[in-house]
Amino acid sequence: MRWGGDTGMVVNAVGLAVFSPVDSTARVAAVVRRLADAIAVGLLADGEQLPSEADLAARLGVSTVTLREALMALRQQGMVETRRGRGGGSFVRVPAEIDPAVRLRTYAVDELRDLGDHYGAIAGAAARLAAQRSLPSDVAPLWRSIRETAAVMRPHGGASPETTGRLRRLDGRFHIEVAAASQSARLTQEEIRLQADIGPLLWLSHEARCGHDETAAQHHAIARAIEDGDGDQARALAERHVLDAIEHLIELRLGLQE
Amino acid sequence: MTAQAGYEDLPHTAGVLTLVGDMVGGVFASLREVRDATARCVAPRGRRTVTADLAVLRPLLWGRLTGGGVAALIAGIGFIAAPGLLADAPWYLEWWQENPGGDPVQLLRDLDPSSSAFYDYTHWEWYSGPLSGAERTICGPYVDYLCTDEYSLTMSVPVVTGGVFAGVAAADVLVRRFEGAVLPALREIPAPAFLVNSGGRVVASNTARWVAGDLCRDAGSFAVRPVRDLPLSLVTEK
Repeated sequence: MRWGGDTGMVVNAVGLAVFSPVDSTARVAAVVRRLADAIAVGLLADGEQLPSEADLAARLGVSTVTLREALMALRQQGMVETRRGRGGGSFVRVPAEIDPAVRLRTYAVDELRDLGDHYGAIAGAAARLAAQRSLPSDVAPLWRSIRETAAVMRPHGGASPETTGRLRRLDGRFHIEVAAASQSARLTQEEIRLQADIGPLLWLSHEARCGHDETAAQHHAIARAIEDGDGDQARALAERHVLDAIEHLIELRLGLQE
Repeated sequence: MTAQAGYEDLPHTAGVLTLVGDMVGGVFASLREVRDATARCVAPRGRRTVTADLAVLRPLLWGRLTGGGVAALIAGIGFIAAPGLLADAPWYLEWWQENPGGDPVQLLRDLDPSSSAFYDYTHWEWYSGPLSGAERTICGPYVDYLCTDEYSLTMSVPVVTGGVFAGVAAADVLVRRFEGAVLPALREIPAPAFLVNSGGRVVASNTARWVAGDLCRDAGSFAVRPVRDLPLSLVTEK
């Protein structure tokens, strides 16, 4: 086909896409995505009971039919468990920590690079805006996460299997708090989505590559730049934090046997 | 700087101060009702309060979420228990949110921080403000990623029973809805004008130079008028 050929067909196709009914499978996928992201980053906790189907459907603004399909998909992914009878209901199941190599294998190198581009843009923009717009009360949660992380590390002198999950979730919380300090709900929602996607892999990369102290030092430097109102520095540090980890993940991915 | 008494202020500023004072005052009036009902509910009576006792608050909470007037501003309202107050749940919110499709719906019930890094609510300003003695707290505007998932304000008052802090009564107001309610009046002012919280963060504005979320760090170069005795001010350029 020639460039720009048959424009009538293109216009027609766009018209069809715009005015076609919104696919109910898209709504199911959106609900699955929202709940799976919340479970992955720890906004919903292991063992927590979800509201009744009617309540949850109302909260999410979808029909109970759509919600039931979404819950079924989440059950198949092992993220929700439904018990019948007295004391029954749907409960959150946080999947066991998966083998990073298995997870990494699901991404092609160009996908990792693309995720890094996307995440670097979001994290950098969020950190810059946070530096411009933060009040001390917005920076306080960042220092709190840094302190809590240090407190988890100290008695153990290193990440034990029990502390790994907690440290990873605190890492995710730190990055979500930076995004929230930007005052942008959209950047925060995008940060939560990216944390659910690739947060655990990036964190493992940081820990493996430079160890906990260096990761903590980078978080400290980002928080300091935001507190100082230095937007350029905050953005550069936040981008570097993502891109260094992505580069390391790409190295690891290239070393994996197909 | 506060506008001087007798000083000829810009037209329509008094109208904005009255409107915003009435609106926000109305939300706090609802919160005082929730506070008083909660204090009665958790008052000492020979046994510790349990979560089921708080169900008596529901008709009141639903009433403050549905209908016109102040209720049209409020997106969520309830009582947040001080950790350890209740016998059967160390961490608990009796929290209800509006639901455009029908009756209000309850937010997740049990928030145990040992199960999630996000659940310790005591550090949020809407909790720490009343805990440290503030009679009225306006937290935000802030990105409320736990509850509304939107840019929000949370207003709160302490609940005290027998001289002991029992938790907070609080309400969520979405920034876009607050802005919609004050913008017509704000537009009447024939100059760039905006409302800021006590930290200088813009809540609503009639100019693109200052929009919700921006920080107005240099109060000295503006005329600042407090909205009654609330932690809010109306600001115009000098």
